[in-house]
Amino acid sequence: MSAIYAAQREQNDLYINPLPVRIWHWANALGFVLLILTGLQLRYADLLNVIPFEMTVKMHNWVGFSVIANYFIWLGFYLFSDRIKVYHPELNARRFFIRAFRQIRYYGYGIFKGEPSPHLVRPYDKFNPMQSITYQIVMLLVIPAQFATGIMMWDIKRFEDWIALLGGIRVVDTIHVLIFIFFVSFILVHAYMGALGHTPSAHFKEMFTGYEEAGRKQDRQRG
Amino acid sequence: MKGYRHKLVIAMLLACVPLDGNTAVNVAENHVMESSEVVLRAVLKKNTRCLKCHSREKFKSLDDGEQMSLQVLPQAYLSSAHGEVTCIGCHEAIGNRKHPSRKTNIAVSSQREYSLQLNQSCRNCHTGKYTRYEGSIHASLVSKGNTIAPLCTDCHSAHAVESMAVYKPVTGLPCKNCHADIFDAYAASVHGKARKNGNVIRAGHIQAPVCANCHRAHDVTAVAFGDNLKAECLGCHEDVKLAHDRWLPNAGLHLDVVSCAACHAPVAERRIDLQLVDNITRLPVGGKQGHEVLQKQLEIIDQADGNIDPLRLWNLVRQCGQQDKALNITLRGRMEVSSGAEAHRLARSGLAVRNCDSCHQSGSEPFEDVVISIIRPDGRTLHYQADKEILGSMASVGSVSDFYVLGGTRVKLLDILLLLAIFAGFAIPAGHFTMGRIIRKKESKGGQ
Repeated sequence: MSAIYAAQREQNDLYINPLPVRIWHWANALGFVLLILTGLQLRYADLLNVIPFEMTVKMHNWVGFSVIANYFIWLGFYLFSDRIKVYHPELNARRFFIRAFRQIRYYGYGIFKGEPSPHLVRPYDKFNPMQSITYQIVMLLVIPAQFATGIMMWDIKRFEDWIALLGGIRVVDTIHVLIFIFFVSFILVHAYMGALGHTPSAHFKEMFTGYEEAGRKQDRQRG
Repeated sequence: MKGYRHKLVIAMLLACVPLDGNTAVNVAENHVMESSEVVLRAVLKKNTRCLKCHSREKFKSLDDGEQMSLQVLPQAYLSSAHGEVTCIGCHEAIGNRKHPSRKTNIAVSSQREYSLQLNQSCRNCHTGKYTRYEGSIHASLVSKGNTIAPLCTDCHSAHAVESMAVYKPVTGLPCKNCHADIFDAYAASVHGKARKNGNVIRAGHIQAPVCANCHRAHDVTAVAFGDNLKAECLGCHEDVKLAHDRWLPNAGLHLDVVSCAACHAPVAERRIDLQLVDNITRLPVGGKQGHEVLQKQLEIIDQADGNIDPLRLWNLVRQCGQQDKALNITLRGRMEVSSGAEAHRLARSGLAVRNCDSCHQSGSEPFEDVVISIIRPDGRTLHYQADKEILGSMASVGSVSDFYVLGGTRVKLLDILLLLAIFAGFAIPAGHFTMGRIIRKKESKGGQ
C-alpha cells in the first residue's frame, strides 16, 4: 500500500513528517481539544452543563494520561532518530535571528504581497526559525509543566510535598490554568497558520500523508 | 474518700502476711469485705450526724442576696456513687474545725463561688479526670470568669452523684442544659434516633454515640478546629476512606478539607472556614501559641468596616512573615457547616450530599459564606466574617495558597484572561486574513 502510494507521488515530493510524528500530532491535537473542552466544563460547570461533573473528571484524567503517553512517542522518536536535527538546523545565533526577523516580516507583510517564504522546507530543516523556537519552548517547557501540574492535581494528597514546594495548590492550579489559556489561543492560531500553505488544505494533507507536495517551493511555509 | 484509703491500707497490710496462693487471696478478700462493712458503718455514722440537720430544708444567705439550700436528701445521697464517702471528705473546711454557727458564720459570696471552691476537692480522688477537665474548653471558660461554664457538680450533681455511664443518654444528658439546640439536633439525627431505639443502627453496629463519645467527657475541646472530630467519626466508621475511594476522586483530600457533617448533614448550611495555621507546625494559630498580635490585627480589620477583604488578608499574611519570622502563617481552608447545631443533623449515609456540582461551581452555596478563624486564648474558635471575593481574588493565590476547589474558587482575573485568549485566538487569524485581503485588493487596483 505504502509502495503504491509512494509511486503515485511526484518524484520531487519531500517526506517531511514520518509516521510517528503524524500519529503523535493528530493524537495530541485530539487530546488537546478534549482536554480543553473537558477543562472548560470542569471550570465553568455553572455556565456549561453538558456532561456530569464526575464523568468529566474521569474523562479529563484519562485523556490527560493518554496525552502524556503520546508525548513519549514524540520524545522517543526525536531522541532515537536523526530527525532531531529539525529543531537545530541553525546553530549560529546571528544567522538564526536574521532568519527569524525575515520570517516575521514575511508573516506580517510579505505573505500578503505574494512573496515566497524565506524558509525552504526540507526533511531535516522543516521548521522556520519562529516555529523552531516556539515548538521547543512548547514541547520542552510548557507541555511538561502542564503535565506536571495536571498530575499533581490528579492526586493532590500523593503529591502534596511537591505542591508545597511550588507554593501551594493555588499556585499549581494557576499555572495549569494559565497554560490552558495559552493553548486555547495557540490551537486557534495554529489551525489558521496551517491554512497558509499554497492551498488552505496543503499543510493539513501533509500532516496526514507525511509528504510535502512538489512544485511549490516558492511558497513553502508551515503553520 | 477516706473510707477507700482505709480499705486500701487494710488490703496492703493483709498482703504482707505470708500465706500461700489462693488462701492468701481469699483471706484478704474476706478481710476487705469485713473491714469495708466496718468502714461503711463508720461513714454512715458520721454522715448520719450531718444528715440529721441537713436532711431538713435549710438555707444559707449569701453575700449576693441569694439563698443557698443546705438540704441533702439522705436517700439520694446514700444511693449515689458517693454514698460511702463521708460528708467531710468533700467539705474538708467544715470537717477540720468547729461546725459554723450563726455566730461563726462563713461568708460565701455566691453559690457559684462556693461550687468553685469545692470543685478542687474532686481532684483528691479523681486526679486523672480532673487533669483532663483542666485542659478542656469548659475549664478554660471557668478560668476566664465565665459564670455558666460547667464545674464538676454541674454535670454530676453535688449530692446525687452518678457516673455518666448510668445516665439515660437521650433524655438526661447534662450537656442538654447548656447546649439545648445542639442536643435537639442530635436527638433527631441518625445517631440520636439509633440511641433512642436501643443503640442499634444496623446489624453488627451496636452503639450509636452520645455527646461524650465524640466530644469527650472531661477534656472537651473546640471541635470546629483541627481534626479532633474527624478522628472520632473514623473511630467508628473505619472503612470511610475505602468507601469514598470507590466513587470520589481525590477522596483523601476531600476527607481532609470537608468536614463529615458538610455532606452527611444534608440540610445544613455550609460555609468556607479559612483557619489560620502555623506554616511550619501546621497547628492552628491561637492564643495558646502567643499569637495575640495576629488576633488584634484581625479585630482591627474586622471592626473597621466589617468583612475582611482579599488585599487586607494578603497584607496580613505577608506582614506576619516580615515582622516576625517565627510567625509564619498560612490559611487552611475547610468546608464546614455554618453552626454547631446544624453539624449534628446527621442523616443516614444514603441521604448524604453526593452531587459534585453542589460545591464544584462558582456561586454554589458554601462559597457565599466565608469566615477566617483563629483560636482564642480560652480555646474557643473566633470567626471573622470575610468578603466572599477573598476566594476569587488573585491575591488569594498567595494568601490562601492551600485551599482550592475546582470550579468553586475561580480566580476572576484568569476568567478575563481566558476570554481575551479566545478573543485573540479568533481575532488574530481574522485580522491577518482581513489585512491580506485589503492589501491584495489595493495592489490589484494599483495594477489596473
